[in-house]
Amino acid sequence: MLKILDFFNYAQSESLWMAHFCTGCCSLEMAAAMGPRYDWERYGYLPTPTPRQADVLMITGLVSKKILPALLRTYAQMPEPKYVVALGACSFDGGPYNDSLSVIKNPTEILPADVFIAGCPPKPEAIIEGLEQIKQKIKNKIPSAASQGGLWKEMDF
Amino acid sequence: MQKIKDILKEFSTEYIEDYKKIWIKSKLTTSDSLLSVAKALKEEGLRSLSTVSPTDFPDTDTIEMNYFFEDLQTKRNLWLKCDIPREIEKCEIASLTPLFASANWHEREAFSMFGVRFLNHPDLRPIIASEDFKGKAPFRRDFDWDAHEKDTMIHMKMIVDAFKEEQENNEINLDADSSEMVLNWGPTHPASGPIRLRIHTDGEEIISVDPDIGYVWRALEHLVTKKDFIGAIVAVERLCFMDNINSMVGYSMAVEEIAGTEITPFAKWMRVLLGEVARVSSHVMGLGGFFNNLGLHTLFMWNMDMREFFLDFLESYSGARIATAAIEPGGVRYGLDMTMFDELQKAIEKFDEGIDEVYTIFVQNPTMKMRAKQVGQLSADDIEDFGLSGIVARGSGVKTDIRMDEPYAAYDEVDMEYITQKDGTSYDRFVMLFEELKQSVNIIRQAKKHIEDGVASGAFNPTKDHMVKVPKKLPKGEAISRVEWARGEVLMHLVTQEKSSKPYRLKLRAPSFNHTMMLDHLLKDKTLSDVPLVFGSLYICQGDLDR
Repeated sequence: MLKILDFFNYAQSESLWMAHFCTGCCSLEMAAAMGPRYDWERYGYLPTPTPRQADVLMITGLVSKKILPALLRTYAQMPEPKYVVALGACSFDGGPYNDSLSVIKNPTEILPADVFIAGCPPKPEAIIEGLEQIKQKIKNKIPSAASQGGLWKEMDF
Repeated sequence: MQKIKDILKEFSTEYIEDYKKIWIKSKLTTSDSLLSVAKALKEEGLRSLSTVSPTDFPDTDTIEMNYFFEDLQTKRNLWLKCDIPREIEKCEIASLTPLFASANWHEREAFSMFGVRFLNHPDLRPIIASEDFKGKAPFRRDFDWDAHEKDTMIHMKMIVDAFKEEQENNEINLDADSSEMVLNWGPTHPASGPIRLRIHTDGEEIISVDPDIGYVWRALEHLVTKKDFIGAIVAVERLCFMDNINSMVGYSMAVEEIAGTEITPFAKWMRVLLGEVARVSSHVMGLGGFFNNLGLHTLFMWNMDMREFFLDFLESYSGARIATAAIEPGGVRYGLDMTMFDELQKAIEKFDEGIDEVYTIFVQNPTMKMRAKQVGQLSADDIEDFGLSGIVARGSGVKTDIRMDEPYAAYDEVDMEYITQKDGTSYDRFVMLFEELKQSVNIIRQAKKHIEDGVASGAFNPTKDHMVKVPKKLPKGEAISRVEWARGEVLMHLVTQEKSSKPYRLKLRAPSFNHTMMLDHLLKDKTLSDVPLVFGSLYICQGDLDR
C-alpha cells in the first residue's frame, strides 16, 4: 500500500501543471522559461489555461489590491493537493513597489508560498530550480504552506 | 506654427512661446476659454489630444492643467496650460471629450487621481484606481497614504463587495428572457493578462465592451516622487518590462533638459543601440503573442529563441536580462567593452537566419491572412481622433514616428524611413510588427558600425564617454520628452522644484491606454471569437496601461 502512495506522489511531482495566471512582470521570465532555450517542459511543467487542472499557482511578481481577489479565487478553484510559488522580490515584500500603496506588500502572508524565487525578475534557471524544490516537497510528503495557514482562509473573495 | 500662435493671440494668455523645435507652449489666464480655444485648434488641424496632466500646487492653492495637442500630419504640437482652483468643490473644468475622443480616458484618469471634475464628460467614472480610492484623490500632495494603508483589509473587502455587486447587477439588469449576458474576459483568460473586459453580448454577438483596468496599478507616477532622480529610473523602467530601455531614455531626456546637460555622442548612439535591442525583444514577443492568441504557439517559441540572443547582449552589457537600469540621466550607465559586440553579432546572425522563414510561414500564412483581414479595422481618421500611435497608427497609413518627427538621441543621423500599411486591419498591424523588426535590426547594424568606427578612429572612448555628470539637485523647471516606444508614443512631463533632489511630478503618457480605449469601437457587432485576435493585434501591455 505504501508503495502505491509513493507512486502517486512521484507521478504528481513529475508532471506539475501551473495555472496560467499572471499578476505582474515576472510572467515575462516565466514565458522565457517556457521557451526553447530553457524549455521547462523537459522537467514536466506545463501551463494550463484552467486552474481546475493545475497543481501549482505562481504569484508572478507584484500583487495589487485589485487582483488579489482574482488570485485567491484562482487558488480556491484548484484541486488539492496544490502548491504556491512566489516569484520575485515583489511577492516577498513589495520589492521596488514597496512604497506604493496600491501594491500589497506581503501577499504571502495572505496566501503562503511554498517556495520563494529571488530576483527582479528571477532568471529562468532560478524559476526551474524553484519548481524542482516543489517536486522535492511533494516527494517528501510535506503539506503545502497555504493549507497550513494564511489570512486567505478568513478572507471573503 | 504661426497659425496656432494667431489663434492663441485671440484669447487672453499669459505667454506664448516656442518650445523645442515643433512645440508651442502657452498658458491661458482663465480656464473658461479652454473649450473655445480647443475648438479653434481642432479646426486648425490639431486633432489629437495626447494627454491631460494635472499638477498639484498646494502652496498657491491651484491645480495646473496641462494639455498636449498634436497634429500627426504636419507635426505641429501645442502644450497648453491653465490653472483651476484646488478645493475639491470648485475643482472643475470643461471636458474636451466631446471635441477630442482621445481625451476620454485621460480625463477619467485625472478625475480619479486628482479629483478634477470634467463638466459635460459623457462617462466620468473612476478608472485605474481600485475601489478603495473612490472619491479620494490619491495623487494630490496632501493625500495621507499612511493613514490609507492602515485599513488594507477593509479596502480588500470593499473591492470584493464592489465586484460581487457588479455581478449581481448584471443579472438583474439584463432581460431574463433574452439571450444577452455580460461576460468577464480576463483577468484569468490565458490571452488576456491582468485586464478584464466586461463584454456585453447577445449570444455570440458583442453589443459593447467596457474594459476594467488597473489590475497592475502600481501608482508609478506617485512612486517616482518618493525617489531621487536616479532612483526614479527603477520605477520608470517598470512601465513595461518588454521595452524598458526606451522609457528610461525618455525620462533621462527630461531630466537632462532641466539640468541643461548635453550628453556625449557616444552615449547617444548607445541609447539608439540599446533602445532598438529592447524594441526587437518586445516586437518578437508581440509577433508571437499575436499567433498565440490565434492558438498557434510555434511562432512564439521560435521568437523566444531569437529573443534570448538579444537578451544575452543586454545581460553582457548590464548584468541583467530584463531589468537593466542601463540608461540614466547623463548618458548610459556602463562603459562598453567592445567584446560585448560579439554577443550582438550572434544575435543579428540568429535573426537573419530565422526571419525569412518567419515571413514565408507566418506573415504570408493564407489562413491567418483571411482571418485577420476581416477584423480590427481602423481608419486614418480614427487614428487622429483617438490619438493612437506606434504600429497601430502606422498600420492605418498615418506617418507618425517620433524617431523621425522629433529626433532624439542619435536618431537624426540614423538612416530610416516611415514604414506604413494601408488598410489598418489586424493583419496590417501584424505586418507592421514584422517590418519594424527588420527596420530595428537595420538600425542596430548602423549603430553598431558607427560605434565601432568611432572607437577605431578614436572619436569615442567607450570606457569613459558613457556618462557626463548631472547634478543631484535640479533647478525649478519643467520639461516634456517624447520617445517612440515599442508600442507607440510615450510622453513624459516632468516638473521639479527649486533645489529638489526628487521629481515633483512625472506624468507618463502611455500608448496602450489609448489603444485599449479602442476595443469597444473595434469589437462592436463582432463575435466573441474575435476578441483575442483584435486584442492581440493592438499590442497592448498591461504594465503601461495601468502604470
